[in-house]
Amino acid sequence: MKTGARSPWVYLPVLILLAITVVPFFWMIVSSFKSLAELYSMPITWLPKVTTWANYKKVLFDSNIPRYFWNSTVVSLGSTIIALIFATPAAYGFSRFEFKGRGVWQTLILMSHLLPSAALIVPLYIFLGYLNLLNTLVGLILVYLVLTLPLSIWMLTGYFKSIPVELEEAAIIDGASRWGVLFRIMLPLSLPGIVVIFLYSFVATWNEFIFALSFANDSTVKTLPIGLAEFSTEYDTDWGAIMAASVIMSLPIAAIFLGLQKVFVGGMMSGAMKG
Amino acid sequence: MQNAAQSMAQTPVQSPPRQPERSAPAPRGRIGRYIAAHKDGPTFFILPAIALLATFIVYPIISTLIMSVTDANGAFVGAANYVNIIESDRTARATVNTIYFVTASIILQLILGTAAGIVLNEQFRGQAIVRALTLIPWVIPGIVGAMTWAWMFHTDYGVINYILMSNGLVEDPVRWLTNPSIVLPALTAVNVWKMFPFVSIMVLAGLQSIPVSLYEAARVDGATFRDEVLHITLPQLRPILASITLLLIIAGVNSITIIYAMTKGGPADRSLITSIQIFVEAFQYFNFNQASALSVMFFIVSTVFIVAHIWLDGRRKGQ
Repeated sequence: MKTGARSPWVYLPVLILLAITVVPFFWMIVSSFKSLAELYSMPITWLPKVTTWANYKKVLFDSNIPRYFWNSTVVSLGSTIIALIFATPAAYGFSRFEFKGRGVWQTLILMSHLLPSAALIVPLYIFLGYLNLLNTLVGLILVYLVLTLPLSIWMLTGYFKSIPVELEEAAIIDGASRWGVLFRIMLPLSLPGIVVIFLYSFVATWNEFIFALSFANDSTVKTLPIGLAEFSTEYDTDWGAIMAASVIMSLPIAAIFLGLQKVFVGGMMSGAMKG
Repeated sequence: MQNAAQSMAQTPVQSPPRQPERSAPAPRGRIGRYIAAHKDGPTFFILPAIALLATFIVYPIISTLIMSVTDANGAFVGAANYVNIIESDRTARATVNTIYFVTASIILQLILGTAAGIVLNEQFRGQAIVRALTLIPWVIPGIVGAMTWAWMFHTDYGVINYILMSNGLVEDPVRWLTNPSIVLPALTAVNVWKMFPFVSIMVLAGLQSIPVSLYEAARVDGATFRDEVLHITLPQLRPILASITLLLIIAGVNSITIIYAMTKGGPADRSLITSIQIFVEAFQYFNFNQASALSVMFFIVSTVFIVAHIWLDGRRKGQ
């Protein structure tokens, strides 16, 4: 049984809080359903006088957004999966072996997780240029490992540590190798944790802006955050289309988040996020 | 548990289970023998990830260091790039902006985030859904928040100016993003809006670790809600707030998306912060060597805050 409020007054700050966080998104959605004429007319209408799908039609059928949606998906999935492949053994190593310098390596991983991306744009630009990977999806996938790999190692190490060692001991006594233990025992047991880490990494790369802006400005490889700028030119901005594209871009994130809100909040509380 | 983990750690070296493998055909060559001897040790688990990170973080940082002391042709120029970039007016402007933006953001984020965290910790109907909705600004892509606020801040057709003017609060439309003295406070507000949910959830976690007995004792003594907040909640939250503050500094110096998407650092560099200046020096002025010098300095300052955060967080969790 959920208990009610200690005092009805608590609903006042709750309402203010919701107004601050939710109203801008309400406005984004409302604006995406207004015609250009209605967007640029005074007085402002709180709900669309005539609900129109024109902005969505324009975004979906008459712009590069579908292509950028695809690019974003490829880059986010690619980088997230590669990071997990490399992070799984590393996290197992950190959680199950005692070795010299383990603490130092773990601290370095945490530091690279917290490192502001602005410090890396110039060197990574030069590096990608050297590898001929500027303006390629592969290049973007690789640099996004800077975001996804430390995050995955850090979170997965914590998850592995929470699994009792006794389960492995039996297998090791039966002659299983460490790698066998990792793949046959640890991975199946950690599947829920891996799914969460997968989604965290996916969201982080889906939302990424500055690397994409610096390394992928050709229209064949642009991702959604960069593509959104295409609706504004020097003279004119198509706010209806921008709001519609914003809604489309937020949908996958909103779906992941609402489906997993408890896990998200729990993950943040365990201190894995850098904000 | 701990003992088990340690005894486990010894197993790869001389445990009986490894005996069967000895009977396998002897690996050929030095590399083969090395792999056979170490494949169950930590090196092969950790090395691939470390190597990948080194390739994309350590190597680029070293190459930036080299670029920061050479010119466009690769000739050594000593500290010239550093001197030039430090003496540039743009750097002074960006530094002042960064300090203003980060400081003002943090103060407001902490106040608003703590207040929201305390509210979310209260019992009320729909608590779970309200907690989730509070996080929305933080979860939704930064660019989406930026574009939505840019539209709301629109001088002629924005909803904010419309409300202000129809209530007679202002005479003329406010040029939120083009007035040099208003642009930075406006962007700070958007940044606060985006990040305070993060603070509120961290505070909520901190609140839930405060022993209930403290509050019970206070209530026996007749403490009011205000007394509880001032004398129990805030003092107990201090360690986690210190660690959040450093996280907010690290996130604040890197808040490129909101500012770049809304103003590109303008008008006249009035909203340019250092992280965007690195981008601008490199990709608008094509001065990669000075941008490298700036990156190195930015890297050093960020590292100081990162180390401080890790140290403080370790101390908090150790307690």
